[in-house]
Amino acid sequence: MIVSWNWLTEYVDLAMTHDDLVDRLTMSGLNHEGTDVVDKDQAIDLEVTSNRADCLGHIGVAREIAALYEIPLKIPNPQPATCSDSISQFCSVEIEAEGACERYTARLIRGVKIGPSPQWMQDRLRSLGIGIVNNVVDATNYVMFECGQPLHAFDFSKIQDGKIIVREARVEETFEAIDHRTYQLAPGMCVIADSEDAVALGGVMGGADSEVSEATVDVLIEAACFDPLTIRSAARKLKLHSPSSFRFERNIDSENLNWASRRVCELILESAGGELLEGVIDVGSPSPSRESINLRYSQLQRLLGIKIPIDFVAPTLEKLGLVIESSDENSVTAVAPSWRKDLTRDVDLVEEVGRIYGFEKIPDDVNVPMSASYRPKADRVVDKVRNVLTAAGFDEAVTPSLVPQPWSDAFTPWCDSPPLISSQPMLGVLEEYSHNIGTVNLLRRSLVPSLLEVRRINDYRSNANVNLFETAKVYLPSDGKAIPDQPMKLALVSHRDFFAVKGVVEALVRELNPLAAVRVKDCNEALLDASQSGELWLGEQRLGWIGSVSDSAKKQFGLRSATVVVEVDLGVLEHETQLIACHANQSPFPPVIRDFNFIMDDEVRWASLESTIRSESGPLLESVKYLETFRDETRDGPGKKRVLFSVVFRSNEATLTGAQAEELCNRIITNCTNAHEATLVG
Amino acid sequence: MSIELFIEQLEALAQEAGKAFSEAADSDQLDLSRVEFLGAKKGRLKSLQKNMGAVPGDQKKIAGMKLNAVKSLIQEAFESAQSRLSSASSDGQPDLKFDATLPGETFHVGRLHPITQTINELKDIMGRLGFTPAEGPEIEDDYHNFEALNIPRAHPARDPLDNFYLSVAETTSGNDSALSGNPLLLRSQTSTVQIRVMENTQPPVRIVSLGRVYRPDTADWSHYPMFHQIEGLMVDENVSLADLKTVLKLFASNYLGDEVPVRIRPSFFPFTEPSVEADYYWDGKWVEFGGAGIVDPNVLRAVGYDPEKVSGFAFGLGIERLCMIRHQITDIRYLFTNDTRFLHQF
Repeated sequence: MIVSWNWLTEYVDLAMTHDDLVDRLTMSGLNHEGTDVVDKDQAIDLEVTSNRADCLGHIGVAREIAALYEIPLKIPNPQPATCSDSISQFCSVEIEAEGACERYTARLIRGVKIGPSPQWMQDRLRSLGIGIVNNVVDATNYVMFECGQPLHAFDFSKIQDGKIIVREARVEETFEAIDHRTYQLAPGMCVIADSEDAVALGGVMGGADSEVSEATVDVLIEAACFDPLTIRSAARKLKLHSPSSFRFERNIDSENLNWASRRVCELILESAGGELLEGVIDVGSPSPSRESINLRYSQLQRLLGIKIPIDFVAPTLEKLGLVIESSDENSVTAVAPSWRKDLTRDVDLVEEVGRIYGFEKIPDDVNVPMSASYRPKADRVVDKVRNVLTAAGFDEAVTPSLVPQPWSDAFTPWCDSPPLISSQPMLGVLEEYSHNIGTVNLLRRSLVPSLLEVRRINDYRSNANVNLFETAKVYLPSDGKAIPDQPMKLALVSHRDFFAVKGVVEALVRELNPLAAVRVKDCNEALLDASQSGELWLGEQRLGWIGSVSDSAKKQFGLRSATVVVEVDLGVLEHETQLIACHANQSPFPPVIRDFNFIMDDEVRWASLESTIRSESGPLLESVKYLETFRDETRDGPGKKRVLFSVVFRSNEATLTGAQAEELCNRIITNCTNAHEATLVG
Repeated sequence: MSIELFIEQLEALAQEAGKAFSEAADSDQLDLSRVEFLGAKKGRLKSLQKNMGAVPGDQKKIAGMKLNAVKSLIQEAFESAQSRLSSASSDGQPDLKFDATLPGETFHVGRLHPITQTINELKDIMGRLGFTPAEGPEIEDDYHNFEALNIPRAHPARDPLDNFYLSVAETTSGNDSALSGNPLLLRSQTSTVQIRVMENTQPPVRIVSLGRVYRPDTADWSHYPMFHQIEGLMVDENVSLADLKTVLKLFASNYLGDEVPVRIRPSFFPFTEPSVEADYYWDGKWVEFGGAGIVDPNVLRAVGYDPEKVSGFAFGLGIERLCMIRHQITDIRYLFTNDTRFLHQF
């Protein structure tokens, strides 16, 4: 809301400086956004919160100033003279759409002479940046910016049968507005019609046909109160926002219609002549009576944290327009004015008293009681995860939670149900390359496709060694749950090869729990290469997936080089995490280390070989370490491989003897030979 | 050859070798001299040794002894030169072949996303002030996102065009959930977490909730349809705006690393009354910090608290704005493109 300094002086004496005024207004709720000098005036831009429609006019702002500076407020009392003819002889108003229009008033002025509005009025409107039209239209604008009540003037000769009907728009009804564009209306919108057509889009904009022009002689003045929701949705659907719709959306003062109507008639009579017909047409429902509010003084200290003198309270409320009904040493009872629909409870009055008294007087160094916070396990686990991954050279990415259809369908390991669909798409979040990929309106069920897109962008920009991770929720629809599952996942995308990335996952798991081991089972995911992929398991819980991206998926995501991806469940990781490590005694004796080299079939999996190695070794086996795999078809024949590994034996009680070590080795050799038809080399 | 000549040759060689070794400027030069004099095949000592065959038989023993003496003499000279050069390279003459300015064999330490870094810092500060982190769902129901937060049905914030209302694929229209009694949507503020925590906890409550929130703005340099918020809530007996102002001042001063003035000015939010905007004073001007206020009694009642017995404050800040100001990031979209060159800056 832009207010003119000169204009304000009509209602309050501005003895203060501009800077002092805007500071006080800012600190009491009208945030100063800037001031422009316009001719000899200052246009002050104030931010008005949506609960304060009363400050969308100069009088409302002046009332704030009067309360802040404890100075008188002067409000005009328009009493335009009328002629003997009564408006009801010529005009009628009917509200059909009761939900859309609470109250409608009309006055009629005959015989105006259209011309320029007075210079002082033009100056004030110009300060606000409002275009100048003529003495009638300018007067309606002037009064709107004076008191916040939007007004409209019709050329009465264009109103068929002198009949105003406030009704819902009809199906397929069209309407040409003052901006000379034609709008397609729809039921639910409120129109002002005569006996035939719509002459205005209620509360939003007048019609071109009934517009006041140089030929206009009789004008009908509308001052009405429209339903905020109806106005907002109409303005929004038609992309037609006006100062009127802006005010109606914020719930204007329905008891001020008559004042505004009299005021604009007075101004028109002054500058355009003519005669005002006797009476006003005033239809609609009367405003509900307002309940009295009891404010206990103790609430002020309790909620504001400062002691406000009791004798400050009632006068301040009165300055703001409240009517004091009673007061005693403990409380005051008051009724809010019609223009302050936001004041209904004691706590609302606490704010009023507090903001006029000054929030700057509230201390910022009180004793807040101590309280120990704690960090939830999930939080600490995610921190550890981030530490390990950054140490492993992975950068963290943050990507949008909504994805287009092809990405949504690309990888859905956690759930078979279709994704949740958003009513609104995310606009502007795709890179140009991906623009035609689809609407971004599906809640992702995996983080991997989003990271593949990030990988593509980085590849395109020739960024080397792109290793990224993200921790975020995925959204899994599930029948019968009020709120869908939204588990936290961790995803990785990497340039490195399968085992390098698997090693990162293993290091991560080891960091969270030194005793936990990741197992891999076969999997069948179209996004992943059929052989270079697997399900990851921790104990009896499925942790997630790892795999090289398949050639077809690489093509789909525009990737040129090999890419390995991982997605794991952070809940499982958290469950397995041991935040407090336990000590185990370390043997003081030296180990016996033996290397083995076996020839076996390609089909033998290391996991199975390792479990054979461990099977009968007992507590003396300290560790098994895989070293290498060799293939030499000429020596070993086709389908064979040599697997090298190293085993460490150690006892807690004594140094192992050669014979003990020999026996342990022989057992491993026998077991491997029996279980895997493996042959020891050398 | 006479023994005298042989000895003379040996002594000359010893002298020459000693000179060469002592004059060697670096280990490479020394090595060249070593090959010249002591080389196993073509070294000069080796070739002199061949002359011993020409020395008369009865004098061969003396010649042999002299040869061995000279050999160890040269060897000693070599070793002392060697030790001279090796000590020179560590604290005497620099070895110019060793270029310590060559880059080290470095490795890349991954970077946390600047949003995570900002969140961690804010969470850390709030933790020191006694606020425990709390989590909540991003998919929320209408009740927790609006109703319980005192946002009435007709409030503009509930406009379907301003929210990501959700439906499942089986229903054909995307607006279905918006029309049903308690539709689902992506939360538009982290205040929803307040409700869920208070529903399950008795006062006193001191939490900080963080995370993603969603509003369907078209992405541009200053808007993104997904962003992050941090929100603090404190409910106890007699919590007032003075407590809020005190906590905000500690928070802002901690974050900015210097004591800063904080002011609160009236504003409007449905879930707080009084509502305020908080600013901090930095670099000669007031900078918007975030929205705050005293928890509205309707919100307290919605979670089963008695507003006559307890009161509380809440405040919320946009993470992206703080992060962008701090790191001088000029376009919010950079945060979500995840170009690694961008990420490596932080």
